[in-house]
Amino acid sequence: MQPSDEELYRLMKKGNQDAFARLYERREPALYRFALHMSGSPTVAEEVSHEVFVQLMGPSTRFDETKGSLESFLYGIARNLVRVVRRLGPVAEPVDRAVHHDILGDLIGNETTAMLHRTLRDMPERYRDVVILCDLEERSYEEVAKLIGRPVGTVRSRLHRARALLAARLKRLNAPQEVGAR
Amino acid sequence: MIFEKMPAEEPTCREWTAELVECARRAGRERQPGRELRMHLAACERCSERWDAELLLTSHLSAMRNRTAAFRAREGRGAVLMRDFARMHKVRMIRGWGMALGAAAALVLAVVVGHMAGEAQRKPVHHARQQPSFYESGGDVLSTDASALSSDDFVAVPYTPPLAQGEMVRVVHAELYPEALASMGVEVDPAYTDRLPADVVVGEDGLPRAVRITENSSSF
Repeated sequence: MQPSDEELYRLMKKGNQDAFARLYERREPALYRFALHMSGSPTVAEEVSHEVFVQLMGPSTRFDETKGSLESFLYGIARNLVRVVRRLGPVAEPVDRAVHHDILGDLIGNETTAMLHRTLRDMPERYRDVVILCDLEERSYEEVAKLIGRPVGTVRSRLHRARALLAARLKRLNAPQEVGAR
Repeated sequence: MIFEKMPAEEPTCREWTAELVECARRAGRERQPGRELRMHLAACERCSERWDAELLLTSHLSAMRNRTAAFRAREGRGAVLMRDFARMHKVRMIRGWGMALGAAAALVLAVVVGHMAGEAQRKPVHHARQQPSFYESGGDVLSTDASALSSDDFVAVPYTPPLAQGEMVRVVHAELYPEALASMGVEVDPAYTDRLPADVVVGEDGLPRAVRITENSSSF
């Protein structure tokens, strides 16, 4: 049986590096993708997912098991870090990754999908969160509700609203093509 | 009246929207639209448009998910974290040992200082006992009134430390040999060798501060 995140955390706090490595392997990829979708920048995503674990192993970590899961705590740190980075403005990408506009869009390849991603990135955070977690990370409403600390009904209604906004944007994106095709 | 003016399908569309979105999210997977929803989509153009838009959105989100699923931070980042973790815990361990050793040293120091202080407190008493006949005479405590020091009969003992602010004193009745009285600054006829009754003012440290020969021996 796999040890829970919280068990690994307790071991990690006692200096067990193996527990820390397991926790990192288990949670880092999703945190990286979450930060990537939230920020649109691989550089920011890399720094954020790294910093989340730096903070976790630091002596001043204030994780309290009675207040929620460790995963939720990690997402909370990642969300706050992305928020700070976004507030600071655009991040310079390394030369080997530098492109003119949307680096993630280029990585995604498809132009419409890339545009959709830009729309997602510019959405209010409460909508962006649920689209990323529910539709891109394929988490259940219950899991997302725990991660963001909101009721299931709120998660569902936010996702439906967010999807309506994205669908409308997608419709507008496709409209000129359709006119042109005719 | 207002309900009569609203389009009849409005509430129905609103009711179907949640189901429509959920079916579109899981299109082609575990959830397919039921017969009633399909009938509604066939009848309602607006819902049908929404359905198409939701399906398109799902396909794009799915493409985005598939494209980014393999994205990860560079390999080296994890190794850097593990190194930092090891270093931090090493420092913490050293610091922990340092603190433990420091605490142990402080404890030992406190014990030694406490012991020395106790010795220092005991010493004056011991010293006083060594003085001839002061305690040997089996002195009685007569008073703890510091004002006794201001009495005219008392002679201050020379070379004793001054009393601290608020220090309590005791007045002890004793029988002292002339040498002891002389050492406390009281002149006694050298021809006299017997012990003399005297009141001695003693500080908290056990040292005599003042002495007087009591009335019944005033003839000496």
